[in-house]
Amino acid sequence: MVLADQLPVLIVITPLIGAFLAPLIYRRHEKASGYLVLLSLLLSVVMAVFLLIKVRRDGPYFYQMGNWPPPWGIEYVADPLRVFMLLVVVAISLWIFLFAIEDLQHELRRTVIGWYYALYLLLVASMAAITMTNDLFNLFVFMEICAITSCAIITVKEDRECLEAGFKYLILSAMGTGCFLLGVALLYMVTGQLNFGFLQQELTAAVINYPLNVFTAAALFIVAFGTKAALFPLHVWLPDAHASAPSPSSAMLSGLVIKIYAFSLFVIFYRVFPRSLLDSLPLSEIVLWLAAFGVMFGSVYAMLQTDLKKMLAYSSIGQIAFIFMGIGLDQRLALVGGLYHIAVHAITKAMLFMAAGAIIYATGVRRISDMNGIGRVMPLVLVAFTVGSASMIGIPGTGGLISKWYLALGALEIGRSLFVLVILLSSLLNAIYYMPIVINAFMSQDDFACQVKEVPKVLQSALVIGMIFVVITGIFSRPLTLLLEEAVTVFF
Amino acid sequence: MEILGGLIHNYYYFVAIILFVIGTHTMLTHANMIKKVIAMNIMDTSVFLLFVAIGYVQGGRPPIIGSDPEALYINPLPGALILTGIVVAVSVTAYALSLIVKIHRAYGTVDYDEICELRGDE
Repeated sequence: MVLADQLPVLIVITPLIGAFLAPLIYRRHEKASGYLVLLSLLLSVVMAVFLLIKVRRDGPYFYQMGNWPPPWGIEYVADPLRVFMLLVVVAISLWIFLFAIEDLQHELRRTVIGWYYALYLLLVASMAAITMTNDLFNLFVFMEICAITSCAIITVKEDRECLEAGFKYLILSAMGTGCFLLGVALLYMVTGQLNFGFLQQELTAAVINYPLNVFTAAALFIVAFGTKAALFPLHVWLPDAHASAPSPSSAMLSGLVIKIYAFSLFVIFYRVFPRSLLDSLPLSEIVLWLAAFGVMFGSVYAMLQTDLKKMLAYSSIGQIAFIFMGIGLDQRLALVGGLYHIAVHAITKAMLFMAAGAIIYATGVRRISDMNGIGRVMPLVLVAFTVGSASMIGIPGTGGLISKWYLALGALEIGRSLFVLVILLSSLLNAIYYMPIVINAFMSQDDFACQVKEVPKVLQSALVIGMIFVVITGIFSRPLTLLLEEAVTVFF
Repeated sequence: MEILGGLIHNYYYFVAIILFVIGTHTMLTHANMIKKVIAMNIMDTSVFLLFVAIGYVQGGRPPIIGSDPEALYINPLPGALILTGIVVAVSVTAYALSLIVKIHRAYGTVDYDEICELRGDE
């Protein structure tokens, strides 16, 4: 079928059209605008599923924009890895939007909600494009769209804290894209290519002839994506930005946006850099150690927080480092673990932020110490929080175990048992700061003091869907890990 | 001497990198938000300069097909890319400036240190 060949571009265009229409319709019909966003996201999910089926059946294929062949034209790739990430992005965006549609009514002024819909869809479109693009400059353009929209969904709330956090995020993310573009320029200087495939061929020779250019570019890429994905020590913008944003934005930012950049770094490591570069420079080693420090420090900082959303944000710094650890270990099983963690953490952290959002909506409480006994008042929300915490710690039956398991297996396979210890220790630290909340919420002697509003049905159902996802990724992980194992085999 | 000769020969690369460092440094160290945005633009422009300089061919002509098929042309691709890059930089700048307006309304200052003090008092 002809239309099936156009799927990669249609998945990006559908939310773009939605982003254009949503604020227009919102002026007249507020409800209809929300449904339109839901519809365009749903369409993207359906198309992504079709794309996955097609790729599984016919193998990977390249889509040439406007029928211009590379190296001049822009190329999109649909291979199992990219489509996996694409599906994670669109499916989780759809799920978070279910939550957002109700929650935003209470967090934002009515007039800006239409604009929020537009920003949300632009963000989804840019992330979908980043997962599939096979062109460095195209990646840069969509990274900038992603950066502006992700700042904008924070500052849309317009309170003092959000504005300041959003500005800090914007400046650091502009530094990230500046470094990235400089790296692209340095690579273009010695190869004359921007397409990933051609670049990889040319770089094999360029590493020998112009090592300085390539090394500098590699360093700039690590800084660029490290800043954007909040790799320790470049994480300073994250806690404020993720904690002050409206809850759906926090879920989106912590759940998906930082992962997109980790995924891009992964694609650049394995699709752009030739094997000889990774072998001759300790790039993986640098990423690995930064990740190991990030895992520990993220958890330690999270323990010190008194604000629930701040704690979740710091926990993201620790968790994103697991994905970088998968890249850094540079081993097949560890990569599967890292990639699986993208999906698991996206679901879990989004659900935790939703639960936090529901708590704040119903009670207005943000401080962890004020939450004693809250579990008896709003059981469903806190059960969701418990399931999320369990997955963060890696308790069997939840997705968190599977990714840590694979990471540990990968580390053992290449004899780096130190990092198994890091993984175990971080799980312990996670338990130290997640479990007291859960225990106090249900078992505390004190009764919950504040007034409690009823949590709307839509919010509750979004949380239930999240819990189902977490358990599915924990128990029926085999199809997905098989897909990933197959996908990463080509890199070794 | 060889390095110095290389630098003089490729002075535009050198200038671009100096500008990049000035931009990054100002952006990260200055407290004034407007200066941060200006520095961001300097940084972006330096990369654009570098990109366009890569495409330049010594003694080349503009890449328009004319009567002489043997003529040496300048690489048009970096120029086309940088046009896109400029558009992106403009939109980021516009967004950053509008944010500063809002921040000024909320805090009454555009100085980052003062904002931190204000927030520390809260």
